[in-house]
Amino acid sequence: MDIFLERLFDGVTNGAVYAIMALALVVVFRGTGTINFAQGEMALFTTYVAWALTTQDVPVWIAALVAAAIGFVLGAVTERTLIRPVRRRNDMATLVVALGLFTGFNALAGLLFNSETKTMPSLFPGGESDYVAVGGARLYWDALGVWLFVILVIGAVFWLFNRTRLGLHMRAVADNPESAALSGVPTGRILMLGWGLAGIIGSLAGVLVTPLSPHQLSLTTMFPILIYASAAALFGGLDSPIGAVVGGLVIGVLEMMITGYVEFIGGTLPQTAALVVIVLILLFRPTGLFGSRQMERL
Amino acid sequence: MSTKTVDVPVEKPAPAGRFPITIVRGSGRYRAGQLGLVALVALLLLAGASAEPFRVGQFTSVLIFAIAISGLNLATGYTGLLSIGHSAFFGLGAYTTGILVVSYGWEPLATLPVGVVLSFLIGVVVGLPALRIRGLYLALVTLAVGVAFPELVKRFADFTGGAAGLVIRARQLAPPDWTGLRLGQRHLWLYWLSAVILILVLLAVRNLTRSRVGIAMVATRDNEIAAAASGVDLAVVKTAVFGLSGAITGLAGGLFAMYIGALSPDGSFTLLKSIELITGLFVGGAATLLGPVVGAFAVVFIPYYSADLASGHVSGIVFGAVLILIVFLMPEGAVGLLNRLGRRIVRITTAAETGSDAGRSAAHSAEKEGEPR
Repeated sequence: MDIFLERLFDGVTNGAVYAIMALALVVVFRGTGTINFAQGEMALFTTYVAWALTTQDVPVWIAALVAAAIGFVLGAVTERTLIRPVRRRNDMATLVVALGLFTGFNALAGLLFNSETKTMPSLFPGGESDYVAVGGARLYWDALGVWLFVILVIGAVFWLFNRTRLGLHMRAVADNPESAALSGVPTGRILMLGWGLAGIIGSLAGVLVTPLSPHQLSLTTMFPILIYASAAALFGGLDSPIGAVVGGLVIGVLEMMITGYVEFIGGTLPQTAALVVIVLILLFRPTGLFGSRQMERL
Repeated sequence: MSTKTVDVPVEKPAPAGRFPITIVRGSGRYRAGQLGLVALVALLLLAGASAEPFRVGQFTSVLIFAIAISGLNLATGYTGLLSIGHSAFFGLGAYTTGILVVSYGWEPLATLPVGVVLSFLIGVVVGLPALRIRGLYLALVTLAVGVAFPELVKRFADFTGGAAGLVIRARQLAPPDWTGLRLGQRHLWLYWLSAVILILVLLAVRNLTRSRVGIAMVATRDNEIAAAASGVDLAVVKTAVFGLSGAITGLAGGLFAMYIGALSPDGSFTLLKSIELITGLFVGGAATLLGPVVGAFAVVFIPYYSADLASGHVSGIVFGAVLILIVFLMPEGAVGLLNRLGRRIVRITTAAETGSDAGRSAAHSAEKEGEPR
C-alpha cells in the first residue's frame, strides 16, 4: 500500500510538471495552431540561466523569476520575428522553424554552459527528512511544494484567461482571428503575448522539474518532458487548458504505475509508452478528452 | 479562415530575346543533353573515386545521406507528410544489416532487401495515423517514433547489442570476390555501391513523381480535399508513400551500417539524425529530384568544418540557424532556386506544347480552379 502511495505521489508530482508544460503548449496552440517543438529547449535554456545565477549566490527564487522573465522575452521575440512571418505560408514552414529553434537552443545551452550535468538547487526544502508521513508513505516537502506551485500557476493562467480583458482577447484570437481583429483586438500583439506567456510557464516548469529529475540539469533534461507534455496536451485536447492539466496528471501517474508495475516496460521504455499513448489517442480520439471538434480547417 | 497558399508555378511570358532556349523533349538536342549529363555524372563519380581514401569515405557518406534524404523527400517534399522520425528508418535498416551480418553471418549485400522490406512495413504502420491526422499531428507521431527507436534498441539488448553497440568485423564487410577489389579497398567498394544505388533511387523517384501517382502525391500535399474530390485515394497514397519513403531511408541505413561498421543507438539514430535529414532536404530543396544530393553535401560537410570549433555544439547551432534561414530566404532550397533560374535559360517542353501556348495555359487555369478560396 505504502509503495503504491509513494508511486502515486511521484506520479502526481511529475504529472503536475507535465501539466504546466502541456499548458504552455496549449497556450501556443490556441493562438498559433502549432505545437512549439522548441518549448522544452527554450525552457532548458532559461533553466541553465537560472542555474548560472544560483552559482553566483543569487537566491533560487530570484533566479526562477529571472528565468521566467527571459522565457517571456524569448517566447515573444520568437513569435514576432520568426513565427509570424512564415505562419501564413504553411504548417510545414512553422514546424521547420520550430525544429531549427529546438536544435539551436539546445546547442546554444551546450555551448554556453558545457554538457556536464549540473545540480540545480530546489525551490523547496528537499532534505531526506523533510517529509510528512501519509498512510505509511513519505510525502516530501519538495513534492508538496511543486504541487502547490503548479496549482498557483494554473490558477493564475485560468484567472488570466477567464477574468481579464487580456484573457478575453486571447480567447477571441484563438477562436477566430479575423473577427477578433475586426472587433479591434490587436491580434498580433496578443499572439506575441501568448507566446511570451507560454515562455514564462515553460521556464517555471524547467526550474521546478530539474531538482526532481534523476538526470538533474543536462542537455537532455527537458526533451522527455516535452514528449510527455505533448502526450498530455493531446490527451486532454490540444486547445483545452483544463484538458492539459488533467492530461498531465493522468500521464504522470500512468508513467509511474507502468514503470512500477509492468515489468516488460520497466524503466527502459518510458518514452515509448508515451508514444503508444500518443498514437492511440490520435487514432481513436484525435480531439482528446476536452478538445473542441472543429479543428479541421479548410 | 486560414488560407493555405498553393505554389502554382507562375511562368512569365517568354521574353523576346534568345532566351529561354526551348528544347523539345525527345528531340535530338534533348538526347544530346541527356548524354552529356550522363557523361558529367560519370566523370564526377570517377573524380570522387580517385581522391584519397578519407575523402572517398566522406563522399560515400554524402551518397548514403543523399539516398536517405531522397526517401524523406518522397514523404515530406512531394506528399507534404512532415516526418521527424526518419532516423528510426535509417536505424532500422542499419540494425537489420548489422544483426543479420553479425549474428547470422549473412552476406552484407543480401541483407539490404530485408532492411528495405522491414522499413517499408514499419513505414506503412507509422503512416496509418496519417489517414486521420495531418501536418502537426503526424509530425508528433513521427517524433515519438524517432524518440522510441534508440530506447527500443537499448531494451532489446540481447538482440541489438544495446547501449554498448554492435560491431561488424571488417572481414565481414570485405568486397565480394566478383568486384576484384581487395579487403583494403573496401572504401571503393562502398563508394561505387552507394553511387549505383543512389542513381537507381533517383531514377525511381524521378519516374514515380512524374507518374500518375506522383501527381496524386503533390495534389495530396497541396490540397487534400480537392485531391480526394478528384479521385485520389488519400489512404492508399499516404500509407504507400510513407512506406516507400521509409524503405528508401532504410536502404540508406543498411549501406550506412556497411560503411560505418559499428552501430550504437545514441550515435547515429537519434532525433538529431532526423533533424539533419530534414535540414538537408530543405537546404537542397524539398520536392526537387537533386535537392537531396545537394543537401547531403551540406549535412556531411557542415559538421565536418564546424566540429573542431566546440565539441559539436557549434554545428547544432549552425544546423538550427541554417534551417530557419532557409525557410526565410530560400524556401525552395538550392536546387529549387537553380531550377527556377535555369528555366529562364533553357526550357524543356513536350512536342505538343511548342508553337502554341494553348495547352499550357489551359492546364494552368484548370490548376487555378483547384485552389482553395
